[in-house]
Amino acid sequence: MAFPGLLRAAIVRRACNVLLLLLAVLVLNFSLIHLAPGDPVEALVGEMGGATPELIAQLRVQYGLDQPFIVQLMVYLGNVVQGDLGVSTYYNRPVTALVLERIGPTLLLVTSSLFSAIVLGTLLGVFSAQRRRSPLSHLVTVLSLAGFSAPVFWLGIMLILMFSVAIPILPISGMSSGDSSQGIWLYCLDVGQHLVLPALTLALIYLAFYSRLSRTSMIDVLDADYVRTARAKGLSQRQVIYKHALRNAILPVVTFAGLQFGQVLSGAVLVETVFAWPGLGTLAYESILRRDAPTLLGILFFSAMIVIAMNVFTDIVYRLVDPRIKAR
Amino acid sequence: MNSKAAPDQTSPPLIAEPTSPTRQAWLMFRGNLSAMAGLVILLLILFVAILGPSLYPVSPTEMVWMPLTPPGASEYWLGTDYIGRDILAGLINGGRVTIAIGLAAASITFVIGVTIGALAGFYGGWVDNLLMRVTEFFQVLPNLLFAMIVVMLFSASLTNVAIAIGIVSWTATARLTRAEFMRIREMEYVKAERAIGARNRRLIWSVILPNAAPPLVVVSALSTGSAILFEAGLSFLGLSDPNAMSWGRMIGDNRPYILDSWWGVTFPGVAIFLTVLAICLVGDGLNDAFNPKLRQR
Amino acid sequence: MSSPLLSVRDLEIAFRIGDSDVPVVRDLSFDVHHGETLGIVGESGCGKSITALSLMGLIPTPPGRISRGQILFQGEDLVQAGETRLRQIRGREISMVFQEPMTSLNPVFTIGEQIAETVRAHFSVSRREARDRAIEMLRLVEIPAAEKRVDNYPHQLSGGMRQRVMIAIALACEPKLLIADEPTTALDVTVQAQIFDLFLNLQQKTKAAIILITHDIGAVAEMTDRVMVMYAGRKIEEAPVDDFINRPMHPYARGLISCIPRLSADPSNEPEPLFEIPGVVPGARQLGAAGCAFAPRCANVLERCREDTPALEMKREAHPVACWNNVEYPA
Repeated sequence: MAFPGLLRAAIVRRACNVLLLLLAVLVLNFSLIHLAPGDPVEALVGEMGGATPELIAQLRVQYGLDQPFIVQLMVYLGNVVQGDLGVSTYYNRPVTALVLERIGPTLLLVTSSLFSAIVLGTLLGVFSAQRRRSPLSHLVTVLSLAGFSAPVFWLGIMLILMFSVAIPILPISGMSSGDSSQGIWLYCLDVGQHLVLPALTLALIYLAFYSRLSRTSMIDVLDADYVRTARAKGLSQRQVIYKHALRNAILPVVTFAGLQFGQVLSGAVLVETVFAWPGLGTLAYESILRRDAPTLLGILFFSAMIVIAMNVFTDIVYRLVDPRIKAR
Repeated sequence: MNSKAAPDQTSPPLIAEPTSPTRQAWLMFRGNLSAMAGLVILLLILFVAILGPSLYPVSPTEMVWMPLTPPGASEYWLGTDYIGRDILAGLINGGRVTIAIGLAAASITFVIGVTIGALAGFYGGWVDNLLMRVTEFFQVLPNLLFAMIVVMLFSASLTNVAIAIGIVSWTATARLTRAEFMRIREMEYVKAERAIGARNRRLIWSVILPNAAPPLVVVSALSTGSAILFEAGLSFLGLSDPNAMSWGRMIGDNRPYILDSWWGVTFPGVAIFLTVLAICLVGDGLNDAFNPKLRQR
Repeated sequence: MSSPLLSVRDLEIAFRIGDSDVPVVRDLSFDVHHGETLGIVGESGCGKSITALSLMGLIPTPPGRISRGQILFQGEDLVQAGETRLRQIRGREISMVFQEPMTSLNPVFTIGEQIAETVRAHFSVSRREARDRAIEMLRLVEIPAAEKRVDNYPHQLSGGMRQRVMIAIALACEPKLLIADEPTTALDVTVQAQIFDLFLNLQQKTKAAIILITHDIGAVAEMTDRVMVMYAGRKIEEAPVDDFINRPMHPYARGLISCIPRLSADPSNEPEPLFEIPGVVPGARQLGAAGCAFAPRCANVLERCREDTPALEMKREAHPVACWNNVEYPA
């Protein structure tokens, strides 16, 4: 690299940015806990069936609730750094443990959907950009509009009706049939079978975005002067499309993937609820029903962390693909 | 002396009759089949939402017939749900709630997004930096989760839902506005205005904003669609006003009964789908109308 | 004289505009011999770029197509050749340098890679050999520090350098014919001169025939052996370059030459007003009409000019002109 000093400075700046964001999320989290109507101590006292004022005061001290806001915030931040996100008021277990249990299924769902959507969407876009008047191209445009307009949870329910009820070939819900005596391969197959519908639901929505985006991007790129140069050199059609054109057309796709990851997590919440998929989404939904604020906020924090990580990741990928981007 | 050749009669007149950009855009929109279809559907839906309850005065919240009646088996064309409520009435009345919240949320999104984007794009420097940090923060927050928390903490009234949606959705509008302002700020006519002493306020309101309007209109249309989907998601999860019947809520309420009644979940979803689709078609049509160069070939 | 390298016969290219087919190039015939430089001049929109693209089979085919004629390259008719054959020829026997160096190179690949892939596409060589050839070509086009530059990306080079890279790409496989479509229009005046010098150098070294498309009469005077003038899709004059500069016959060609501003011998004289040909080039809709396309702008127009399209007549040796007038050039 020509300017290692500049690159190092850029990395440091980025890292500071990330930390600042995380800090802001935590402060927000903490403030929200405090905005919640109702006092944790009062809730506790209610469960105890009442208490003397002295006991209440003692509890306040015990929970650090008599301290000023800033001190409580510092304590909270200190806890978070050590991995302590509070205790779930429903499960009475540390939030961190709960979240870590559920994060696997969510990541499985999200990555498999996004991966299929991006790969398939890009290919569809590339195909239909080359044959602009073909039925395929029109189909892509129509499907992409439809995919964006259908509510993701409704789409999931429709798929259940079609493939689990009307033609019962796929399981209705859950992640596995719960048979713990299966070997590892059968278990994977089982999970895979359960993964099909939820992943398909999410993927269809994002397929719409990506095929449309890659089609538009590819159409623009195919008009570019450097594509004409590539043809004039006598390169094969495959080289022109997949080497020269695609490499440039994919840049907006990468950018978009980074920007919309937060939306993908939101979609995952809804899909998990529909399919009873045991991930962070269902945990969030249940926490709402049980008014379990600590868990909910823990999930919020974790999700924000994942989104930030994805942003950084896409940034790196973008820099790898486009050599024009120097250290910012 | 040489006579100059007579002016060529076959060349077209040099000055065509001027048409305003708005009229040109409207003509292009009108020629776009799918955009017009979207507009027609949208007007129909609005008509039903506004006048429907008067023309079809069945209550959506009371039991009117046997529960779980299939469509076509009774005088209630779309059947009844698990309590015996009329699905059609639910659709007609739910439309009002859905559309009202959609528009309200989109307005909030617009106001916040355009304000932040305009300030960041126009002033640049530390203002831009600060506002972009804020934007990045809101972009990183998973929007559904955050809205869920806000609604849970502050009670689920229609106003709160609209506000919650508005607060989490403005980042795209802000980015677009900022980009437009930064682009237009550098244009010759803005520099000319500045050179004759125009004040910042005039520049922002009367010069840049009208020129930035076309893409902003398009993105507002799309964000109305997003807001409607968002509201549907929230009410599906049971996080909307318990007194209001909205389409998302119908789907959520009827979900436990899909094995016995597919109609309870299907029709409200179709309603949401058609509404948002119509909005998207109109938005796309507006986009093409304002940008004829970028028109899909 | 041996048979020509390239022989275009009665070429007609049509574009679909709206719901009609517009002939943007008509009745075009010309030859290019081995090692010679032919200049094609004309205003924007006269069809010269489209002609160049047609020679390589690069006309965008949904709206455009070759509707008539032959393009005989070394005896082979390229109009009938399939896409596979054309791909073999492109970059290897015939190559092209385009007008916009800033956008004609792919921004995500190094310039070395973009030269090397041309070589690899036409010869079976190793990557190492192709890369060596790329460095050699960069030296040929006079880019300093070629071994380091070969790994640069296009955005790291200036416009003039990028155009040199384009020339390197075009010459990498030693083509017999190089088509340069306004190669310096987008460049600085000082850089223009350098690029033309480079062309002259390279032609001596590689013995390739060159078709130079330009509206710069100065470049034509410096670089070409023969000149062909196009107007509204037709060839209206062709001549050896000296004959063309000093004794142009078609009113349009005479107008072009008169447009060149002359430095006054005595600086204290009033500068002469710049000469301009009145009127504008015909638009697409007028291209199919009968009669001489230049008639609306011609100072010597006759009745006949509006009705009959003039055919090419040999008015002087090796100097065909398409004009009903027989205006003698004032001595």
